[in-house]
Amino acid sequence: MNGLAFVWREALAGLRRNVTMSIAMMLTTAISLGMLGAGLLAVRTIDRTQDLYYSQLAVQVALDEPTSAGDQDCTSPTCTGLRGELTADPLVAAVSYESRDQAYQRFLRIYAGQSILQLVRPQSLPATLRVTLKDPTRGDAIVSEYSGRPGVRNVVDQRALVQDLFTFLGSVRNAAFGLAGIQALAALLLISNTIQVSAFTRRTEVGIMRLVGATRWYTQVPFLIEAVITGVVGALLATGGLVLGKLFFIDRLLGGRLISNAIPAVGMSDVLLFVAPLLVVVGAAIATATGYVTLRLYVRN
Amino acid sequence: MLRLEHVTKLYPTSVRPALDDVSMDVDRGEFVFLIGPSGSGKSTLLRLLLREESPSSGNVFVANWNVARLPNRKVPKLRQRMGCVFQDFRLLGDRTVAENVAFALEVTGKSDHTIRTVVPEMLELVGLDGKGERMPAELSGGEAQRVAIARALANRPLVLLADEPTGNLDPETSDDIMLLLDRINRTGTTVVMATHDRQIVDAMRRRVVELHLGKLARDDARGVYGATR
Repeated sequence: MNGLAFVWREALAGLRRNVTMSIAMMLTTAISLGMLGAGLLAVRTIDRTQDLYYSQLAVQVALDEPTSAGDQDCTSPTCTGLRGELTADPLVAAVSYESRDQAYQRFLRIYAGQSILQLVRPQSLPATLRVTLKDPTRGDAIVSEYSGRPGVRNVVDQRALVQDLFTFLGSVRNAAFGLAGIQALAALLLISNTIQVSAFTRRTEVGIMRLVGATRWYTQVPFLIEAVITGVVGALLATGGLVLGKLFFIDRLLGGRLISNAIPAVGMSDVLLFVAPLLVVVGAAIATATGYVTLRLYVRN
Repeated sequence: MLRLEHVTKLYPTSVRPALDDVSMDVDRGEFVFLIGPSGSGKSTLLRLLLREESPSSGNVFVANWNVARLPNRKVPKLRQRMGCVFQDFRLLGDRTVAENVAFALEVTGKSDHTIRTVVPEMLELVGLDGKGERMPAELSGGEAQRVAIARALANRPLVLLADEPTGNLDPETSDDIMLLLDRINRTGTTVVMATHDRQIVDAMRRRVVELHLGKLARDDARGVYGATR
């Protein structure tokens, strides 16, 4: 189609004419979208980490010394009573019993070959009722309900122990989204400004177009395409940045011995298949919307 | 072809209306001079016909269009049937003569085939055949105005509106342009020309509509410039 070739040619000419402005516009868009992408990756990682942990986390009801010492399979009245009550609790999904000996065996397995083993005797470990919850966030209810009950040494919600990690990841996400928002505003203003400059440079041409009866397709769509190209190029640059960030920063950070098993890795498919398409769509949509509003407000049709 | 019914145009920045209760008719194929001093409302009248402005009250008709009530999306259709030329030619300096003429066809969605046939035809009509590859900067004023006329005619308008088309040209060149406009008019195109040029108006002896302070002061079927002065 004739018109398509025309608007495309005009849009590219527009970008070339303001080349410094075009580059600034693309870079700002790229940084904004990169931040958004980083935030999205953080959210995805947080979700996965939570899934990973919550499937394994439980509330541990540790039994007191007399019960722990004598009870191999939860047959004492204290243990049976607690177990019965927990099983009947509507919050609880399942209850399992771990005796002192089983706890010691597990301890031996986890810390095999480490010097801490020299310090631990079976007597220092309590027997526990491991309680998995239907809703892992309701551990506090079990803690307050069963703490201080006869035969109970203490009640520990394991989720509370990893909460700090999630708080940290959450603040990474919030910071990324916050910066993305500020950058997005800068990108919007730049796109809007560039379209105005572009329209001003081409005012003679557009004036003639209007006089000879060119439709909006010819007078306005070239500016919109300029904006969309900016948005898409920005998204592609942002994706490139995220790939580099993954390879040279996140992989090294999460690959360290300490946290390699604590946080799931960010996969290349997360960047390319999940985040990149979103960034392209968001970039193009925001650029189009900005372009449209600018043309409406500042450029006569 | 053109009809104004009690048209008044008030600009927000001015107390006196630019046009004050003006009514007139122009038939198909007429040649009309629109005269009057600066600020008498000539340009406003042309802008109303093109829907660059809308009247404060009254109606403007072009062919079958009620111009003031035309929805925005139909304005391009109206303008495609109105050719315009101006004192300052308004050519695109970075395009050749042929490209300037082709531009009007291109941005109104004509096919490449149409463009290839119509452009040489128009250049020949205005006497510029063989000069299609020149740049506007290499042209004389008269030639530049011919290019503008060729561009205005490319979409085969019903009406040609000319706003001081000879304003920047010397008398001999002006006469040539008037001969061209006269020839175009004789092929059936209605021409409305706003001008200050007494000699031209007196020589042509066509219909003269005079505006004074926004009011219709005179409408002579075969007038001269200075009849009422």
